[in-house]
Amino acid sequence: MSFFNFDQSRHNTAAPGFSQAHDPFASLANRDEEAEEIDFEDTYDGLGDQLDETDDAFNDDTFGGDTGEPGPVGKDFDFFGHTAKVANVIEEENVRFNRQQPAAKAPQPVAQPSAYTPIAGPSYNYFAQAPVRPARTGYEKYHEQPIEDLQVDAALWGVAPKKQPPPPAQPAVPSAPSGGRKMLSLEEVEAQMRAQAKAATPSPAPQHQPHQIPHEQAYLYQHQAQNQPQAHFQAGVVEPLYHQPQGHPMTILQRPHSKPPTPAQPSSQPPAIQQHQQPAVPQQPTQILQNPNRLSGDAAKIGLPVHPTPPSGPQSAHQGHRQQGSLPRQPPMILHPAQLAQLSEEEKAAYLEQEAKRAKRNHKIFQMSRDNGIMTPQDKNFITRIQLQQLVAATGNPNEHGTDESLAEDFYYQVHSQIQAGHRQHPSQPLNQFAQTYLFQTGSRQGGMRRHNRGPENHMQRMEQQVQRAVEAAKNKPKNKQLVIEGSLGKISFSNAKTPKPLLNIKRNDSASDVKKAPHPVNGRDKKDELRALELVYTTLMKMEDHERNMPMAPAEDDQEALAKVFAWSNEGQALNEQLWKALRVQDHDQPGRIHPFMALLSYSKGKKAIPRIFRHTNHEQRITIFTRIVVNLDQLDVVREAQVTTDDIQFNAAMRENIELFSAAIVTTLFTFMNELGLDLVAAILGLVCTRNVDVIAKSRIGASMLTMILSRAELIKHNGGGSEQDWRSWDMTYTQFFNILEPTLPYIFPGSIATDQDTYVWQLLAAIGIGASPDQQQRLVIAVKDRVMDTVSLAKTLPPALAADRLQNVNLFMRSIGLDVELLQ
Amino acid sequence: MNARHFSSVVQHILTSSSFFKTLIDHEVTVELKNDIQIRGVLKSVDQFLNIKLDNIQVVEELKYPHLSAVKNVFIRGSVVRYVHLPQESVDIQLLEDATRREAANQATKAKQG
Repeated sequence: MSFFNFDQSRHNTAAPGFSQAHDPFASLANRDEEAEEIDFEDTYDGLGDQLDETDDAFNDDTFGGDTGEPGPVGKDFDFFGHTAKVANVIEEENVRFNRQQPAAKAPQPVAQPSAYTPIAGPSYNYFAQAPVRPARTGYEKYHEQPIEDLQVDAALWGVAPKKQPPPPAQPAVPSAPSGGRKMLSLEEVEAQMRAQAKAATPSPAPQHQPHQIPHEQAYLYQHQAQNQPQAHFQAGVVEPLYHQPQGHPMTILQRPHSKPPTPAQPSSQPPAIQQHQQPAVPQQPTQILQNPNRLSGDAAKIGLPVHPTPPSGPQSAHQGHRQQGSLPRQPPMILHPAQLAQLSEEEKAAYLEQEAKRAKRNHKIFQMSRDNGIMTPQDKNFITRIQLQQLVAATGNPNEHGTDESLAEDFYYQVHSQIQAGHRQHPSQPLNQFAQTYLFQTGSRQGGMRRHNRGPENHMQRMEQQVQRAVEAAKNKPKNKQLVIEGSLGKISFSNAKTPKPLLNIKRNDSASDVKKAPHPVNGRDKKDELRALELVYTTLMKMEDHERNMPMAPAEDDQEALAKVFAWSNEGQALNEQLWKALRVQDHDQPGRIHPFMALLSYSKGKKAIPRIFRHTNHEQRITIFTRIVVNLDQLDVVREAQVTTDDIQFNAAMRENIELFSAAIVTTLFTFMNELGLDLVAAILGLVCTRNVDVIAKSRIGASMLTMILSRAELIKHNGGGSEQDWRSWDMTYTQFFNILEPTLPYIFPGSIATDQDTYVWQLLAAIGIGASPDQQQRLVIAVKDRVMDTVSLAKTLPPALAADRLQNVNLFMRSIGLDVELLQ
Repeated sequence: MNARHFSSVVQHILTSSSFFKTLIDHEVTVELKNDIQIRGVLKSVDQFLNIKLDNIQVVEELKYPHLSAVKNVFIRGSVVRYVHLPQESVDIQLLEDATRREAANQATKAKQG
């Protein structure tokens, strides 16, 4: 009947769902056709030969033969009932099998020579084969039409049902001996067999029948059966068994056969084909109830499908069952239906629902487990190591603490240990940029803060060296050159001299300065504001340091992006600089009666400490401005004004001493370093600034004297190095003369304490610095001014221990040499 | 400033544990809240500022003879009153910066939270 003019002859009658009964062996046969034919002899490992047939002592215990003689074989078997007792085990086995053996290989056991270890873990072979085989999914038993559903399931795996074209004979001929090819469940089979047995022989009542299984439950039973991987088989086997009892002897998991099977029956021969070609041939090996988990092992051992049994109707089938029953290690297979039978409808529904869920889960597990075992543990270790390496590379070695996060969490430790390491290790050892930034920063800090008490000495030593060099230079210098300069000095008029004052922007300060200005009482509010301003300075400084560390790489010439980055970076730096400058308030105007805001910051120790860092982050003009600001307010500094020396032996209090030391270490040192970059014009300008202040006050403090020494010795070094234009020198000499005239009356009083104290080294340094640059006339005046102190020190030195005396004399000598004399001349 | 040690009141946990890490293997004196002072080599400090000291010596050994046999101690952080630090091992300015940074971090965190 052609429907819609379809050519029915061309129709693929093998395709599922086209009016033919499903042949459960279809896929198997097809596969076997496709597969390479395997000779049983090639694959049989001969294990069956090794079986020990002698030790049968406990067979009775095992198999229940209590009489020792085989009784009449009954037909009252009840696999179904037995199986129901181990339902749980089977369920577990199912799940386990699902995970381990996704593709059931049951149909082709001998084709898997390596199948001895399938349980231990799927091999690669498995996975290579898995996709091409229809496999159970766990859904089968929920289909109303289980047999057809098997076909559908194959598609579930993405496998084209091309293998389904079954052997030509079977489906196409509905009039095959089986008639309707109706599938019967094992339950039905058993029930009928029991009925037969009852009718035929008065056999003992079936012991193992806990309950009758109603036929209505058959479909459930069928579903359950399909849950097993061998569902194809079972369905296929049961049917012929029933409808052609005489024609299809069946081997159900026979016990190991001692005889190796004959090669005449290659195991790989597809049973379905045989069936088709020789429907009447009795030697049709079939197999049911294979436990998948032990399939391969058993198969190999048993020599699987090769056990021809004479066709003897139900009896042979019975025997087969009997054998199966006597095989205790073979777990029974079907069980739940029996239990289900007792359940109410609701419970059944709930159970089925649960089962569906479970099956779905199993399916998922299977899909996920498809790639199980692809990687060995070694592979995984390898990958893990690679990932760790990448992680380390991405986040940086924790020991290198390169990231800002770790810096934020552990700032002190990170930087401190880097500094320590930097000092301990070889200086040429490369450090990361971060360490370098802070190392440089702490270089000055170390000189100052860390070795706090040694800081000033360091500074004084350097100053002393500078003065000494200046003295040496002066001594080596021909006298007449100096005279020439002196001579020119007198002829230069003030008006013609170029004064650097405008550059320094000091006019206003001059007018606003009030020598007698009393220190403004710092009330609480001012102090708070000042401290807050200081913190702002520090915050900005830290930002700038961070910013400096993040400096982008020097861009390539045509790298626009990098150029933009650098541009943005410098812009940001500029903004930070402005912020810092604003916070410092260096250029604020002096308010009468109030201390300058910048100098107020310097009155705090942390303000003093900030100066070295500020100098690192400011430009030249800003530094000069700061320098100028400090010099202009020198006589108002607490460390100057409140630390005036007298000839009495006075001791400043601890706080003041600390203040002085800190100022000397943090500020004077910084200014000293900075000053060495300045030209003569600026030095002269600074000295000129000093002249506008209370020089006597300045000179009578240690800080002030140090500053003066610094300025004067710098000028001498410039002179020694031949720097400075002639005009600069004229300006300098003029300023110097002015300075000397102002200072001269104070000179006798700048010594700290009495002659007995040894704190006057810095004074001798100052005197030496003054003496170098002085004209002969000024030198003479200088000697006269300090003559008493010189003589006293020399005479005191005679009473002192030699070492101490040498020190004192050396101090004096520093000055004496600067004016061309020597202390030995006095002795 | 001539004092060899100075006392530090612990305020910032993060910074202080970071700080104490730099003092490991330095000799410190831990003053407990029961007035016992224990001098020893700092071995470890944890987040609770529990302190492990090695080679300890009680400052007033005559007063606390029961500790003279003890060689190392683990001190619960909550019983510590002061830790006297070797001044030369402390970078004060760096410490100040560290506290500033932490304060800034906490400020930003407070803003965000």
